[in-house]
Formats: sequence, C-alpha cells, structure tokens
Amino acid sequence: MSVTMVNRLGIARAIATLAPLQTRNYATHATGHGRQRRLNTPPDFSKSSLLHQTPQTFSNTPGLPRGGASSRLNLCQAINSALRTALSESNEVLCFGEDVAFGGVFRCTLDLQSQFGDARVFNTPITEQGIVGAAIGMAAEGAKPVVEIQFADYVFPAFDQIVNEACKFRYREGHTGANLGGMVIRMPSGGVGHGALYHTQSPESLFSHIPGVKVVIPRSPSQAKGLLLASILKAKDPVIFMEPKILYRAAVEEVPDELYTLPLDKAEIVKQGADLTIVSYGRPLYTCMQAIAAAEKELGGRTIELIDLRTIYPWDRETVLESVSRTGRAMVVHESMVNYGVGSEVAATIQEQAFLILKAPIKRLGGWTTHTGLAWEKFIFPDVARIYDGIKELMAF
Amino acid sequence: MIRPPLHHRLVVNTGKRLYNSALHRAYSSHPPSARLNVPIDYATTPILHHTSKSALSNPELLTEVRNGTASRQNLFQAVNSALSHALSSDPSVLLFGEDVAFGGVFRCSMNLSSEFGSDRVFNTPLSEQGIVGFAIGAAMEGAKAIAEVQFADYVYPAFDQLVNEAAKVRFRAGANEEQTCGGLVVRMPTGGVGHGALYHSQSPESLFTHIPGLRVILPRSPAQAKGLLLAAIACPDPCIFLEPKILYRAAVEQVPTEPYTLPISTAEVLKQGTDITIISYGAPLYTCSAAIEKAEKDFGCSVELIDLRTIYPWDRQAVMGSVNKTGRAIVVHESMVNAGVGAEVAATIQEGCFLKLEAPVQRVAGWTTHMGLIYERFNIPDVARVYDAIRVALNY
Repeated sequence: MSVTMVNRLGIARAIATLAPLQTRNYATHATGHGRQRRLNTPPDFSKSSLLHQTPQTFSNTPGLPRGGASSRLNLCQAINSALRTALSESNEVLCFGEDVAFGGVFRCTLDLQSQFGDARVFNTPITEQGIVGAAIGMAAEGAKPVVEIQFADYVFPAFDQIVNEACKFRYREGHTGANLGGMVIRMPSGGVGHGALYHTQSPESLFSHIPGVKVVIPRSPSQAKGLLLASILKAKDPVIFMEPKILYRAAVEEVPDELYTLPLDKAEIVKQGADLTIVSYGRPLYTCMQAIAAAEKELGGRTIELIDLRTIYPWDRETVLESVSRTGRAMVVHESMVNYGVGSEVAATIQEQAFLILKAPIKRLGGWTTHTGLAWEKFIFPDVARIYDGIKELMAF
Repeated sequence: MIRPPLHHRLVVNTGKRLYNSALHRAYSSHPPSARLNVPIDYATTPILHHTSKSALSNPELLTEVRNGTASRQNLFQAVNSALSHALSSDPSVLLFGEDVAFGGVFRCSMNLSSEFGSDRVFNTPLSEQGIVGFAIGAAMEGAKAIAEVQFADYVYPAFDQLVNEAAKVRFRAGANEEQTCGGLVVRMPTGGVGHGALYHSQSPESLFTHIPGLRVILPRSPAQAKGLLLAAIACPDPCIFLEPKILYRAAVEQVPTEPYTLPISTAEVLKQGTDITIISYGAPLYTCSAAIEKAEKDFGCSVELIDLRTIYPWDRQAVMGSVNKTGRAIVVHESMVNAGVGAEVAATIQEGCFLKLEAPVQRVAGWTTHMGLIYERFNIPDVARVYDAIRVALNY
C-alpha cells in the first residue's frame, strides 16, 4: 500500500473513533459508559398504544368511525387528508399561508393547489399579521379560511389580530349572530430536537387567557384529522390548531378514510387507571406513557390514568375532575414552562373543586424556566425520568 | 306641553329626590342602596399614605429618603416625578411613545420634553411594534429606553418584539455579558377604568409571564409607582411596567420627595392577619381592602392582605409563608380567571402549603368574557365578590 493509502486508513480509523462528535449530541440520548438507559430511551412509536397500529383498535377511541376503509398515515399526511376533505366538502374553505402552494415546509398542503386551484390554495407574503388579518376579514365575509403560520414561534406578530380582533368578533357582533366559525389558524408547535429558540415554542397557554378562540392540540394522525375537520366545519369560533411538529413523521397510524369529526370540547381518557391522574396533551403524552409503563411495574398493582386534554381552551373540566375524584392524585405535564402554563390552570381548578379528595398536591411538570437553546432541549422538556420521579413522589406522599 | 323624550322620563324615585338617569352614567355608578359595592373612598383607604409621616416611615426606604420631605401626588404625578428624576440623573435615559412630547394622554410625561429636550423625550409614530423594537435596539446600545405604549390593550402588536426579542437577548448573548437590553422599560396604562370597554380596559400582565426574560411590575399607588419605576429603570432586565389607569387621578397620597427605589420581585404585606390571606395587585387591592374591612366586622376574622407588586418573577416565599400561617388563601385580579395570575399563585400555594390548607385557594377574577362598556362592574371583581369569597373560605 502506498503511504497515502496508509495515511488515509489511519485517518479513517481516527475519524471512526471520533464519530460520536459528529452525531447530533443534542438530539440523541446519551449512550456508552457501559450502562443501559432504563428510562430515557427514545419512544418507539410503532408500538405505542396511543397510536392505532391496526384498524381493530378504532373502537377504543370514542368518535372514530369503525368498519370503513383506513390508511396508514403520518401526522402531516393526516392533516393533508383533512384539508383535502374540507376543501372538497365546502367551497368556502380556503387554505393559505407561507409556502403553502408547493406543499408546505412540512408537506401538510401537498397537492392541494393542483387539485383545488390557486384561487383557494395560495401563498402569502411573509407577514403573519397580514395572514391572520386577511383570514379574519374573509371569515367575516363567510369564508372558512384555514391559514398556516409556519411555526408557532412566529405567531406573535399576529397576536394583536388574534386577541383584539378574532377573539372579540362574536362579542362585538352582539345579536347579529355573525361569527368567525370556520377560521382555523394552524401551526407546527413544540420541540423537535433541534429547533432552538425559534422553532420550538409552545404558546398554547397564552391563547387561553383571552376568551374567544379555541386552542386544540392533537396527539396523533387520527385525532388530528377529526379535530381539524371539526374546527373547520363545525366550530362557531376561530380555532388555533397546534400540531406537534415532532410527530409529523414520527407518529404513523391507521386513519379512517372518510370524513369524520371529533368533539372540540371533550378531553379523552387514553389509559384507564385508579390511583393517579396524569393530564397532558401533544407530544408529552408519549413520554408519559413510557414513564407510566416503567412506574406501574414498581407500584405494586396501583395504576395510572392518562388524560389527553385535546382542547386546551376551553378545556374539559368535567372529565379531569371526574378522574381526580376517583384517583385523588394528579399531575400535569407539558413542554412549555411551568409558570402560568396550562398546568397552573388545571392545578388551580382541581384544587378548587376537588380539595377534600386530594391525597397529594397536584404536581406540575413543565419545561424549566429558560429558553430552549439548541444544545439543552432534552434537559429542558420533561423527560421520562422526570415524569417517573413525579409519579413515585406523588404515590409516596 | 311638550313631552320630554322618553329617556328623560326614566327617573329614579328615591322618595327624597328625583334624579335624571340619562345624565347618570349608569354603567359606572353603584346601585342606590348598596352596602358593600360602594365606591372606593380613596381619601380614607388604608392602602394610601395620607400623612407624610406615614409615607416616610416605610422601612423599605433608605434613611436619607426617610429624613426628607413628602408631597401630595396622584399616580401620574408620581410617575412624572420618577421619570424626571431618571432623566436628570442619567443622560442615557430616553422617554418616547405616542403623544409623549406634549405630556402624554395621562399627563405622565408633562413638561419633560421642554425640560430635557426633544432628542431625549419625543413622539413616535403610531406603531407599537416600532416603538418597542426601537426601544430594544436603543437598550442594546446602552440607552435606558423607556417606551410608552398608550394603553396595555395596544401592546399586542409589540408582542413578538417583547417575547421573541427582548426576552431572549440575554440568553442569546451567551457568554457575552455586554449584550443585554436591560435598560428597556415598557410602560403602559392598564386595567378597567369604568368606561374603557373592549380596548381600554385590558390587563395583559399574565401573558408576559409565560416566557422567561421579562420582569412584570404593577404598582398599587403613587409612592409605590415612583420607587418601582426607578427600580425598573435601573434593573438589568427588561421590565414591563403596568400602571392602573383608574388610579392616575383617583389615588392621591404623600410621596417622598427624594428619588428612591423599591425592591423588585418582593411582595409586600399591607395588612397583617391570622385567618386568611388575600393576594392581589394594582387596583383590586382597594376593593379587597374595602371587603376586608366589612368582613372583619361581620365575621370577626383577621385577614392578611398581600400586594404582589412584581407579577413575574413573583415572591413565592412571602406568599407561601403567609398561607402556611393562615391556612386559607384568595387571589384577586381583574383579568379573566383562566390561566391568569390566580392560576399560577393557586397552583403554587397548593404545591407548597398542601398540608396546611384548610380550604381551597379561591380565585376571584374577571369572568371569562370581554369587557363590554356597560357591564364592566359586573365583570371586574367587586367588594361583594371578595367579601363572599372570604366567607366561603372561613366556613369551608
């Protein structure tokens, strides 16, 4: 072998030992040191009971049509299916936003413009305030605009339009009965592993402090299709529809082909239990399931109930309170920071209404009170270990 | 005889005198035989300092301030006084906003442009996003930029600037300690005023508390406002300073003449008590005080009243220490109850004081609706609602 080849081999070997540096540390779980990770392992979506791996389990979810045809779709495909269905169902439905025409940066609007034309599916300039403002005007004229904000982190320029215009429209109309029902503002939200400051935020709690919009967060493709169709075709108020971006490709399940809607005012108990209620929504539900599986092995027969809020505001107090009245313990888990988050509202309500039943304080597990820098995301959001710890702490109180 | 129009004939007969209800702004006055819901008497409320002795005995003031004098000022005069002190003591202080130059729509910036010059005190165009964006830039270049948003209801166009820029500057700068926008203060009149309706009544303080990076401060009185505003200007973090607009003229008290700061992120116990803790801030404190007075007389209880002062980061220690002592708590605020300050305070209290609580933490807050013109007094918590909450807590 020539000297150059030997050198190249040596360099190749050197690179091979340096390989871990080339992996995205911030997006993968730690390995090595000879120890097996017990809790913080990546979720296996292909085995998750939160997803319908076959159509036979549709009957476990209230509201899902059974017996009809279904397809295996991921979250962005399910959203695409819902948009296509809505656009076919009603001529008033429009779909616009940044980069929507070519299919969208997350492929949610793929092939919609070619099928429905550029008078109904079109791009907008980079102006969230303009996108939402135009949508409000169109909805006031009877259209059902389904607009896309490219990332939830970018919704803030539209905050005035949402809070001061969209939220107040029905109130201002008084007896005329006019409303902005059918207007949906979709946005990818939540951590994705490498989103950093501006592609990771979960602002759902901010929209729950002004009356007038519904805030909906689906946990899975089949939920997303039903909830989005309900938001477009049935809702009497504007809906902010936040799609957990990390699930766009990761969550794959059977989704009914037909048009169906899911209720926008009901939470869902996704796992029955008797001793602790965990309330969550979106991506953290999968983390909770992992923690529950690990904890239940060690709880001597005690079981944990998991509730998906689905609609963050107005939220289903009945379901949550009924559950806590049976279990006596509660925990709320979400990605956004603890202070003034959804957890605060849920905890404050539970302690008001179920005060005498509670056996332990309600625990709130949220992101730490810091921004989501690139390198530290997995330490900021609640992980399986933190939820597991929370469960053990509450059970032992 | 020419019959008067219908509305002139809708008079209320009290038996002693008739008065013309059309001339009476029904939406902002109290019912004739109210026992609890009577207007706040700001001249006698224990929340304000009615004598200079009382104002100067505040233990949070430095000795030289306490040895000085005090003068009678309302809220906008106290804010004006603080701004004047800041502008005269530090050449990097700027003050700007819509209509600030002529004195401001609430007179907070009266005479400041003429005294300090129009390159330090000036008007901006009608663009909250621009006002705050410009203020962030100026603060990052070392200025102490005091931006005024004309009403808190108008702050939302600046929301992206505040939440995605101002709140994140220091984090983004990382190890570069020089890069901050700590000199930023955004002032805005907030809260119900009796006739503000949808767009002059909002209290958005809780929205700025769900993103780390901003301090949110809400003074209850002229003397508090002067000290907290000077502290906010000096604070190395960007601050949002909300001024309860109804207090601009209504709240008049003795305010120390010397400049002084009050501690941020420290709550204050306004009234000691043993049976129940009420936590509030801003204008509702006066309502709470009136309710407490009646409740203590009627129920024979002893109520502790805490002013949060800084909404975020808020003084958990003080609140939990109080509730651990009393075992009962009520949180009162104007903005709607869902996901408001009450939610955070209640959730934290039940976490930290679980075994000491004798009753659930109640939240007495605005109902979940918008602030229509005529129904404001039914929306914002009134004395009767706070009084009821005290009764419920005591009897639980």
